[in-house]
Amino acid sequence: MIELRGVSKTVESGGQPLTILHPLDLVVPAGQLLAVVGPSGSGKSTLLGLVAGLDEPSTGTILIDGVDITALTEDRLAELRGAKIGFVFQFFHLMPSLSAFENVLVPLEIAGAPDPAREARNLLEEVGLTGRAHHYPSQLSGGEQQRVAIARALANAPPILLADEPTGNLDTRTGGQVVELLIEVNRRRRTTVVLVTHDLELAQRADVTLSMRDGRTERIESPASRALPGVVAGS
Amino acid sequence: MQFILRMALRELRSSWRRLAFFFLCVAIGVGSIVALRSLIQNVRVALTAEARSLTAGDVYVRADRPWTEAAEAAVRRRLAAQPGAERTDTVDTVTMVRLPDEASVRTKVVELRGVQDTFPFYGAFELRSGRSYDPALLDDRGALVAPDLLAQLDLRVGDRIAVGGEEFTIRDVIVSEPGRQLGAFAFGPRVLVAYDAVAATGLLGLGSRAEHQMLLRVGDESAIDPLVAALRADLEEEFARVGSYRRTENRIERNLGRAENYLSLIGFVVVILGGIGVWSVTRVFVQQRLRSVAVLKCLGATTPRVLAIYVAQVALLGLGGATLGVVFAQAALSAVPASLAEQAAAAAGIGAVSTDLTPSAVLQGIGVGVLVSVLFALVPLLDVRHVKPLLLLRQGQVEPPPGVDWLRVGATAAVGAGLVVVAAWQAASLEVGLYVVVGFVGVAFALHAIGRVLVTAVRPLATSRLFALRHAVLNLTRPGNQTRVVLLAVGLGSFFIIGVRAIQTNLLAGFALELREDMPDMFLIDIQQDQADGVRGMLDEAGAGSRGGAAQLIPVLRARVTGVQGEQTSIEGRREVRRAGFGREYTVTYRARLEDNERVVAGRFWDAEPSAVPEVSIEESLHERGIDVGDRVRFDVLGREIEARVTSVRDVEWDDSRSGGFMFLFRPGTFDDAPHTFIAFLQGPREEAARARLQRDIVAQYANVSVIDGLSVIATVRRVLGYVTRAITVVGGIALLAGVLILVGSVAMTKFQRMYEAAVFKTLGASSRALIAMYVLEYGVLGTLAGLVGAIGAMGLTWAMSSRLLDVPWRVAPLVAVVGVAATALLVGAVGVVSSTDVLRRKPLATLRAE
Repeated sequence: MIELRGVSKTVESGGQPLTILHPLDLVVPAGQLLAVVGPSGSGKSTLLGLVAGLDEPSTGTILIDGVDITALTEDRLAELRGAKIGFVFQFFHLMPSLSAFENVLVPLEIAGAPDPAREARNLLEEVGLTGRAHHYPSQLSGGEQQRVAIARALANAPPILLADEPTGNLDTRTGGQVVELLIEVNRRRRTTVVLVTHDLELAQRADVTLSMRDGRTERIESPASRALPGVVAGS
Repeated sequence: MQFILRMALRELRSSWRRLAFFFLCVAIGVGSIVALRSLIQNVRVALTAEARSLTAGDVYVRADRPWTEAAEAAVRRRLAAQPGAERTDTVDTVTMVRLPDEASVRTKVVELRGVQDTFPFYGAFELRSGRSYDPALLDDRGALVAPDLLAQLDLRVGDRIAVGGEEFTIRDVIVSEPGRQLGAFAFGPRVLVAYDAVAATGLLGLGSRAEHQMLLRVGDESAIDPLVAALRADLEEEFARVGSYRRTENRIERNLGRAENYLSLIGFVVVILGGIGVWSVTRVFVQQRLRSVAVLKCLGATTPRVLAIYVAQVALLGLGGATLGVVFAQAALSAVPASLAEQAAAAAGIGAVSTDLTPSAVLQGIGVGVLVSVLFALVPLLDVRHVKPLLLLRQGQVEPPPGVDWLRVGATAAVGAGLVVVAAWQAASLEVGLYVVVGFVGVAFALHAIGRVLVTAVRPLATSRLFALRHAVLNLTRPGNQTRVVLLAVGLGSFFIIGVRAIQTNLLAGFALELREDMPDMFLIDIQQDQADGVRGMLDEAGAGSRGGAAQLIPVLRARVTGVQGEQTSIEGRREVRRAGFGREYTVTYRARLEDNERVVAGRFWDAEPSAVPEVSIEESLHERGIDVGDRVRFDVLGREIEARVTSVRDVEWDDSRSGGFMFLFRPGTFDDAPHTFIAFLQGPREEAARARLQRDIVAQYANVSVIDGLSVIATVRRVLGYVTRAITVVGGIALLAGVLILVGSVAMTKFQRMYEAAVFKTLGASSRALIAMYVLEYGVLGTLAGLVGAIGAMGLTWAMSSRLLDVPWRVAPLVAVVGVAATALLVGAVGVVSSTDVLRRKPLATLRAE
């Protein structure tokens, strides 16, 4: 479960303070698929970075499964990410010097998994890339790279998966495949997924959609007219 | 731990190509360390194994005058007490060899040695004919000679040579001989004859310089030290030196150990150069790996783990470089032709020297390579601490937090200390290690400062109207540029080379000056009293004179100090004399007046009247060692005891040696009727044939007289200087090679940026020719700057060396400097352009797409 209490972010811009995220309360229950939508600069990625502990909030606290991550040191945060959070980026961010297989292997090895090689093979199979395991990122298509990135994010079976514009750099068809994969992960593994996207069609398929503009929440809705269990939003 | 290693290895698969050049520098440095250390260790093994044959006996007793009855009796008594002990005698002197043929004018200074039948007790001669040595070869005036004598006098085995009053037949050629003192300065090639034959030549007469040696074989190892101690006590008042082969062994150990440590510092400097390359490349490398670092952190790796991955990478590369260096070293040693190794070994008087690498040298080399690589990479690697994984979501610069980064400061200090430790380990001396590192830092700092000034000086060119020049200069100051490092590395190489060449030029000029008009260029020694008039006549006839006038013969005697008594000083007995620093044998003279190069600084110089009471004038350095005006100095002159009062102290201008210089100068009267010999400082005939003829005539008529040709001494000095220059040039060459490698590596490092720029330029319509012109100018300017850095540094070095150390007038060596700068510019320009060619070949679209 992800819990944000009064979280905001203010940065220095040209000597002036600039609030890029206004105070926000948000609860994402375990197993939910949350889509965050909004135009460029609306504060979507900032929100995601804060949840992942990649950035520090100016105010408020962030709880991941009850742990206040704003109180953790950089290295404790890294360990928490390794165990609890998987990350998928718009630009994939695979390590170019490692093969697909090795890219998936790294987080398993960092966490000290008992049989990292087998686990990595299973994950690649899960994303349908068994045949491409020993290719380097430069030898893979964009869609394939993003699927490797999802396999990497799923290593150590994190309860939370954060995705920043995962289809933003892909054509419609491969983007669709990636979306299907993420939804499948959410449904089958009961992984909490927070998805930042421009793609409204994709957002339609989420449990909950959070729309943002200029660092503020515009509205929260359940596209499939489902109930909104536990989601509280405010500004 | 396993993860770190595995990760480092995976990363290396793609990064090693970019980093290879720097570790090639490490390889070259490690290679020099391993090769030099191995070689000297092997020589040491060979030498200490032969220490006994180097002495040719267990115990030696040496003196520079014939044995007295007392000495003979003492040795006989000690030997009688030692069952099975034996003795063999040798005698050594420096003399002239000439050809018996009257028409031939060739002469040669040689080291003549007479040996008895039982010589040597240890070791064996190696003769060129291959037969084994037999004392019978020396019977009936037989001689064995060193190869250089045959070459220099154009002789063959079977030919005859004249030494003193005797003629000898050359029976064979000595390849290696036992009992040759190692490292002793050789006046000329060896001529070995029978012991009694030396006396027959008449060369052991009055005032001759001969060393008499008794070699003893004891048999019982434990008896050696007591015997040496007993003999030293017995011969306390004789002018004899007693020692054992172990002393030789210790000396070899000490000297070679020192040589090994100092020489390996040369390799160390190259490794440091590689280290500077590693430092510079690591900075760029970290910049290129920011994303990967951020990804690792995002995936849960802590900063210490990420840091460990990159340190492990550097250590592995360092290990690879060092291992390659070991391969280089083996290749270099194997490449030494066997014949050359044999010649060198023979020249040193030892047998075969192994060209294998020694384990300890290999371990040391690898240790230094890895340590230096890691030390230099550490500080730039600390930047990964500041990499935030947020970078993956939002583009941004990696900025260190404000304030003093104490970890960085501490690490820098630790790295500096680490380098001192490594240097001290290599030199086996903390002091030397400190000097080397501080000296290196000083030179690096100076070159760096010069480089900075020069780069600032060319900056205005960045507004030039010429496209190629403008961008060439901009490239030198672009972010992430390697200009400073290349300037330092290449500059250091050219600094070495230009510096040593300039010093050579300065020195040669200095020597040429010394040979100017009125300087003596020919020296005669050991002229007997009854030969003086004859020699004088020959010199007059040949037109050889002293200082423009007729030839002057200076009377000399050889004297030893046996005691000093004065108000402040009381020195009595051999032991005290030796301790006070007056133990050596002095050549003394007498005359009524001061020479031009002398000045009285204390006391009063005597007048022209001879005096029956002995009076002596001393040189200033003796005064500094404790003898004062009014003191009484007792001398042993040819066994005769003379006590003289010190009446004055002289300052002698040693540089101006037209009339020589004497530590002790006596007032005429004391030695007038004592037997003495003469020496002469002359200006010989200018013409070469006349010079040779004069030398030959003197030696033919007065066999005991030695003629030393100053011109050939100067030629020898020139030759030795040439060797030294070549050796240092090799070092400079290695440094320059390392610099060039760093240059190639730097170009490779910035290749991606360059490719992108080239693509943009091409898209904007720049032709390949314009780009080539830009690169030529960029590297031409860089090379010129590096050459200037080296040349300016070299000027400073030669100035300091000339005026402080060598005491020769300093002059700019413009030709050396200009050629040095031009050659450096050409080299750097060529290397830079060639290594940029594939940037030019890439099609722009492919590059832009990839971005």
